[in-house]
Amino acid sequence: MQSQLEAVSIIQALVAGGKGLAPSAAPWLNERRALALERANALRLPSIRDEEWRFTDISMMGRVPFQLPVPHSVIPDISAYVLPEAQWRLVFVDGIFNVGLSSLGAPVKGLSISNLGDAIQNTPQLVVGHLAQHAHYENRLFCAINTAWLRQGAFIHLAKEVIIKDPIHILYINTQAHATVNVRSLVVLERAAQCTVVEDFVGLGEEATFTNAVSEFAVASSARLHHVRVQRETPAALHIAACAVSIEQDGVYQSQSIALGASVSRYELEVLQKGPGVEVVIDGLALIKERQLADTHTLMDHAYGSGQCRQLHKTIVDGRAHAVFNGKVLVREGAQLTQSAQQSRNLLLSSDARVDTKPQLEIFADDVKCAHGATVGQLDQDHLFYLKSRGLSEARARNLLTYAFGAEIVARIPVRSLAAQLERAVMTQAQTTL
Amino acid sequence: MSTSTIEQLVNQPYKHGFVTDIESDTAAKGLSEQTIRFISAKKAEPDWLLQFRLKAYQHWLTLTAPEWPNVNYPAIDFQNISYYSAPKQKKTLKSMDEVDPELLKTFEKLGVPMNERAALAGVAVDVIFDSVSVATTYKQKLADVGIIFCSISEAVREHPELVKKYMGSVVPVKDNFYAALNSAVFTDGSFCFIPKGVKCPMELSTYFRINTQDSGQFERTLIIAEERASVSYLEGCTAPKFDTNQLHAAVVELVALDYADIKYSTVQNWYAGDEKGVGGIYNFVTKRGLCKGVHSRISWTQVETGSAITWKYPSCVLRGDHSVGEFYSVALTNHKQQADTGTKMIHIGKNTRSTIVSKGISAGGSNNSYRGLVRIAPTASGARNYSQCDSMLIGQQCSANTFPYIEVRNPTSQVEHEATTSKIGEDQLFYFQQRGIGAEEAVSMIINGFCKDVFQQLPMEFAVEATKLLGLKLEGSVG
Repeated sequence: MQSQLEAVSIIQALVAGGKGLAPSAAPWLNERRALALERANALRLPSIRDEEWRFTDISMMGRVPFQLPVPHSVIPDISAYVLPEAQWRLVFVDGIFNVGLSSLGAPVKGLSISNLGDAIQNTPQLVVGHLAQHAHYENRLFCAINTAWLRQGAFIHLAKEVIIKDPIHILYINTQAHATVNVRSLVVLERAAQCTVVEDFVGLGEEATFTNAVSEFAVASSARLHHVRVQRETPAALHIAACAVSIEQDGVYQSQSIALGASVSRYELEVLQKGPGVEVVIDGLALIKERQLADTHTLMDHAYGSGQCRQLHKTIVDGRAHAVFNGKVLVREGAQLTQSAQQSRNLLLSSDARVDTKPQLEIFADDVKCAHGATVGQLDQDHLFYLKSRGLSEARARNLLTYAFGAEIVARIPVRSLAAQLERAVMTQAQTTL
Repeated sequence: MSTSTIEQLVNQPYKHGFVTDIESDTAAKGLSEQTIRFISAKKAEPDWLLQFRLKAYQHWLTLTAPEWPNVNYPAIDFQNISYYSAPKQKKTLKSMDEVDPELLKTFEKLGVPMNERAALAGVAVDVIFDSVSVATTYKQKLADVGIIFCSISEAVREHPELVKKYMGSVVPVKDNFYAALNSAVFTDGSFCFIPKGVKCPMELSTYFRINTQDSGQFERTLIIAEERASVSYLEGCTAPKFDTNQLHAAVVELVALDYADIKYSTVQNWYAGDEKGVGGIYNFVTKRGLCKGVHSRISWTQVETGSAITWKYPSCVLRGDHSVGEFYSVALTNHKQQADTGTKMIHIGKNTRSTIVSKGISAGGSNNSYRGLVRIAPTASGARNYSQCDSMLIGQQCSANTFPYIEVRNPTSQVEHEATTSKIGEDQLFYFQQRGIGAEEAVSMIINGFCKDVFQQLPMEFAVEATKLLGLKLEGSVG
């Protein structure tokens, strides 16, 4: 009970902090922040008694003395996280935009990449229609707090028919122990624009940090967005994130989200189909061990017909770790000719590992093809035997099979250097289980 | 074929809608400690049972009706229900001839010619007519092999030690809102005890029937199979047509000891309300089987086509090592019907196995949900589960949902879940029609093909009935 009260007190500090923010020059932003603040005041902290948070215990919020970050000028070493393919890089240190570490490349016509705060000031016409318009916070306390704190973040805008081949890297890096950081991404693709965005959440050191992230992606008709999300916070961190994607007619959204770090992490992805004929790919991989908990909640909302969605979520769970997956596919009335397939595959590596998965279908249209599947199990004895009969040791065979299980997702990441880094992480995890 | 043809196929009036006029001994409406003492006194029950009821009632008072199911209905006024209603037939019957001819006619209309069925099909029917058993056939034959098959009231009188030992051991009085209510006010039900090593020589069957307007029915069924015993139990339901909703909150408990085998089959065709959703039965049932012994097996098969709201999760607690749980279900909803049904498989013992096959058919403006839980406890090494839930949608106003919860805490277990959703395609119908098979028959064949995996599990006579039932229920709705 005590920890619950203290958890509320950090929330109160956040709410008070949101209130205390200097008003922005844009009245519309002040208004949106005020509305979110009002909502944050009304909502209570979710607990395991709430159906949506049944398996995800965030009471550590009360045990760790989280606080707002202190301004400082230490420049962290980010060389290990730099992606050579990416000429555009936005870096946020403890939630604050760092110009020195960022790389804004050569200007390209129709492409705007900047700190969200600058965009609100300089090009409000690109922001006002989208910021805080996609991620709903009515029933989500953390999203409401994030919105009430709106001032900085990553902003990417592609004008119509602009195609950017190289990936754009957003690096959120936490350096301070116990820091509570609100971060925000807004990516807007106008008609027929294309790009790849990498959101990278990194924690330096071993200490606990608390990241509250909200991302909004608006994909206009015929635009294509490839979204890669990597969560590699410190092992003690708390990471709570929401991502809202809205796709108009014939738009394409592909994503891979990889969860490696954090003591407790939660990722809520909501994809809303706002026109017929969209294509969506949602891939996820959680690679966890020791006492980690990784929770992924996804919602694919087929509000229009002829949409296609393919989802594959995998978890590799070792030690006493706990993976949670809740994938909901909603086919609304009239969304005919929808094709939606979802798979949840879970690999348990130890006797204390735990998986709770709930693939969920809600269908209100009759001419649709929907399917979901879920499996939970350990490595297949036949597969192991096959490899051993080829002369591999038990250890190597297990290692290889675990690697292959995770690599299926990692191999789909279009950024070669990042995929290689993650493959190594999967390999290391596979080896520690021996 | 057009949508209208298939809609016509579905929209068929309820064929079993009639009221049998028998004088009933009905308790005044309302629920209080007095009501419970009245029921208990009426049935001349021992004190321990009264205490059991009162304990349940006290706990029920602290609970609120659950809101998590995916169904909508106006709040139930529990004080506006009569909790006791028994046909006025006090003398004990020696043969079928003594049964009220009015009652026999009712069964005739339902197509259950008891004496005929008993003789020809070899089925012993423990007829429940508004809560009190009035006739039990084939009792002697069962008694010869040591099987006890009687009403719960009789079991309380004749075999109190068995009832006391097992009642509430699978579904505790504090289990949930409706189970607590049932434990407090249950009036009658069936009791079945199969002693060690006995294979029940015939299918046991109960024909439930709700009569008397506004009398909520609270059945209690308890089946115990001792070591190496086996039994197949059938439960079939029809109800007359009424406009006020009737609440039905039954509790069914199964206990299987070492190597025992219990098969429980249900065909439920209670009044579902009219096309606008007026009237119909609320079917809120707690059914649970405990595989207590090693190598025991409990199998649930259900065909749910009736009731305005169906809300039940026949479950298996697999405690004994190597025990097996099975769940085969067809749930069909039409018009404004709502069904939130599924199962729970709780794996506790080693090498326990479970199979779930669920087929949901949703037509008209109905709402059909599968909700299931597969839990593998840390102790359940080598556990295995396979689940398959398929939905079929007929029409554009209906919905089909799946909510499978999978909770795994043992790495040596294997859990698989699959779900699909589909419709009856124009091309499929065309294929049938160009082979000279009419649209109506084609729909019926496609649906029966869809449900085959479940129908195969039903005893022969039930399978025939179920196939016919689905055809009837869907008359007029596919297109």
